[in-house]
Amino acid sequence: MQSSQAAILHNKKVVDDYFRMRLSWSGMEVRPGQFIMLRVSDGLDPLLRRPFGIYNVIGAKKTTGFSFKRPTGVEILYRVVGKGTAILSSKEPGERINVLGPLGNGWVEPEEARNVIMVAGGVGLAPMLPLAQRLKAGALLFGARHKADTKIVAGFSGLGCKIKIATDDGSRGFKGFVTGLLAKEIKPDSVIYACGPAPMLKAVAVIALASGARCFVSLERTMACGIGVCLGCAVKTGAHKAGYEADGFSMVCSDGPVFDSTDIDWDAL
Amino acid sequence: MIKKAKPKVKIDKKAALALEVEIAGLELRNPVMTASGTFGYGSEFAPYTDLEKLGAIIVKGLSLKPRHGNPSPRIVETPCGMLNAIGLQNVGVEAFIKNKLLFLRKLKTPVIANIFGETVDDYRELALRLEDAGGVAALEINISCPNVKKGGIAFGTDPVEAHKVVSAVTSAVRLPVITKLSPNVTDIRVMVRAVQDAGTNAITLINTIPGLVVDVEKRRPMLANVIGGLSGPAIRPIAVRMVWEAKSVAKVPLIGSGGIISANDALEFILAWATAVQVGTANFLDPDAAVKVAVGIAGYCKRHNAAVKSLVGGMKARE
Ligand SMILES: Cc1cc2nc3c(=O)[nH]c(=O)nc-3n(C[C@H](O)[C@H](O)[C@H](O)COP(=O)(O)OP(=O)(O)OC[C@H]3O[C@@H](n4cnc5c(N)ncnc54)[C@H](O)[C@@H]3O)c2cc1C
Ligand SMILES: Cc1cc2nc3c(=O)[nH]c(=O)nc-3n(C[C@H](O)[C@H](O)[C@H](O)COP(=O)(O)O)c2cc1C
Ligand code: FES
Repeated sequence: MQSSQAAILHNKKVVDDYFRMRLSWSGMEVRPGQFIMLRVSDGLDPLLRRPFGIYNVIGAKKTTGFSFKRPTGVEILYRVVGKGTAILSSKEPGERINVLGPLGNGWVEPEEARNVIMVAGGVGLAPMLPLAQRLKAGALLFGARHKADTKIVAGFSGLGCKIKIATDDGSRGFKGFVTGLLAKEIKPDSVIYACGPAPMLKAVAVIALASGARCFVSLERTMACGIGVCLGCAVKTGAHKAGYEADGFSMVCSDGPVFDSTDIDWDAL
Repeated sequence: MIKKAKPKVKIDKKAALALEVEIAGLELRNPVMTASGTFGYGSEFAPYTDLEKLGAIIVKGLSLKPRHGNPSPRIVETPCGMLNAIGLQNVGVEAFIKNKLLFLRKLKTPVIANIFGETVDDYRELALRLEDAGGVAALEINISCPNVKKGGIAFGTDPVEAHKVVSAVTSAVRLPVITKLSPNVTDIRVMVRAVQDAGTNAITLINTIPGLVVDVEKRRPMLANVIGGLSGPAIRPIAVRMVWEAKSVAKVPLIGSGGIISANDALEFILAWATAVQVGTANFLDPDAAVKVAVGIAGYCKRHNAAVKSLVGGMKARE
C-alpha cells in the first residue's frame, strides 16, 4: 500500500476505445484481482482518483505462490468511457502519474486450478490476466460487443487456459451473452471468477447458485478514497453473513472488490 | 548589515513554534486537523502519512448505536467537488471505544471525537460515554443532522434546538466542546450566537452544502438518497465567506472547513479569521494531503517571518 508517482512507460490503443498503459511502479506484493487508483489530472476537475484493475504485473520475482512479489511495474487495460479515461488515453510515455495501491482483497486462490472458469464481460477482462497467469489452467469465457473487441483477449493465449468467446452480434464465437457459454461449461465442482457489468454478474451468480458451484465476483462502484474511509462505495451484503463490520453494507474498495456471490444482495445492486 | 547564521536546530524549533495554535484549551502543534468522515478512525491512514505531524485527528461521526447508512449509490463526482449521502454509517460509540481508541490513544496527536444523535439526550449520553472512556481530547458536535423529535428538521438550522444540544453537552462534560455548524441557514451569525451562548469552546464551519445531481439519461437522481452534501474545492469560497461573517459575532476560536486542498487554501481561511483548519475531501485525493498542507503553511510562515497565530484575521478589507 503506497501513494507514489509513477512514470508512464507506454500507453497504447489496443482496439477502438480500449487502451493499455504500463507504469513503472515498484511494490512489495500484488495479488491477482487487486486494483490501483490513478489521479488522472493534477487539477481539480476531474477531482477524484479513478480505479483500475491490475491487468499485468511486470518484473515480479519468480515465486510458486499465488501473489506476485516485488514487481517493477504494472499495466492496466482500460476503456475510455468519460472525462477521466479520456484524459488518461491522451497521456504520453515519460509523463508521471500518481498511483495509490495495490488496493482491495483480490481473488481467493482456488483449491483446484483445473476447475476454474473465468467469466469476463468487456473491460471486466482486466483483473483476469494475473489470475490466468497464476493458474495456468481452467477456462476463460469472454463476452464482447463484436469481433474487434475480442482483440483484447490476445494476452491470454499460451497461458494454458481454454478460451471461449461470445459476441453480442455473433461476429465471433457464440452469438449472445457470455452466460450462455457458462451454462454449458459449469459443473458442480467448478469455481467461477467473474468480472463485468452488473447484469452479467447477477446472471452468473444465478447460474452458479443453481449448479452449486462456488462463485466469486469482482464488483465496481464509484469510489472516492479507495481505502475504506469515505464509505462511498457501499454494496448491500446479506445481513445473514457474519464477518462484516457493519453488517448490511460492505465496501467494495476495502472488503472487496472480490465477494462471494452469495454474500451480495443482488436485488439492491 | 550581515546577519549571523543561526544554528539549524534552533531555526527548526522556531519554525515549529510558529505553527502552534490553541483551540478550546488544546495546544495543537499546527493548525491542520483532518475533517470528520474523511479520515476514518485514523489508523487507515497510517501506511500513507505521518499521523504525528497532524494538528489533530477528528474521527468519523459517532452515534450511540452502530448505523448502516444509506443505500448505494452514495457518492457522485461534481465539478471540482463531490456529493455524498453516506447516511452517517459508523461502528457506534462502544465499538469505537473498544476497537479504535486503543490505537489512537498511543499517538501524540490529539484525537477529537465527532458525535451526532437523533435527540438531545443522544448527544449528552455520547459525550458522557466518551469522556468516561478517556483518550479523547475534545468533542466536535455535528448538528447538521435531523432532530427526530422535531419532525426531522436539522438541529443546526434552528438556533433554539442548536442551543439545547450544545448546552446539554457543555453542561455534562468537562471536555472541550467544538460545535460544527451547517451552512444551510440564512444568517450564520444567529447560529454562532446560539451555540456560543450554550458554552461551546470553538466553532467549526462549514459542514457540507446540500446538493442534487440528476442523471439526465435515466431521469433519476444520481444518489439513492436524492440529496447529498457537497464538499471539495467547489465550496471553498462559500466556506471562507462564512468564517469571515461568523467572526463578526464570534468570541470563541473558529475552525475553517470546506475545500482545502493546499496550504494556500488553508491560509485563506486563517487570514479570514480561522484559528485552525480541517482538511476533508483532499484526503481522498492524497492520503498525505493534510500533512502537506501543514508543511506548506510552515513554508509560508518562514517566507513571511510570521507565526500562524499572528496571521489569524490578517486579511485587510479594501478601503
Ligand atoms: C475496483 C474497480 C476496478 C476497475 N477496473 C477497471 C479496469 O480495469 N479498466 C477499466 O476500463 N475500468 C475499470 N473500472 C471502471 C473505471 O474506474 C471507470 O470506467 C472510470 O472511473 C470512469 O472514469 P471517467 O472519468 O472516464 O468516466 P466518468 O466521466 O466518471 O463517467 C462516464 C461514464 O462512465 C460511467 N462510469 C463511471 N464510473 C464507472 C464505474 N466504476 N463502472 C462503470 N461505469 C462507470 C458513468 O456512469 C458514466 O456514464 C474499475 C472500477 C472499479 C471500481
Ligand atoms: C464522505 C464524507 C463523509 C463525511 N462525514 C462526516 C461526518 O460523519 N460528520 C461530520 O461532521 N462531517 C462529515 N463530513 C463533512 C466533512 O467533515 C467536511 O466538513 C466537509 O466535507 C467540508 O470539507 P472538505 O470540502 O474539505 O471536504 C463528511 C464529508 C464527506 C465528503
Ligand atoms: S471508496 Fe471510499 S470507502 Fe470505498
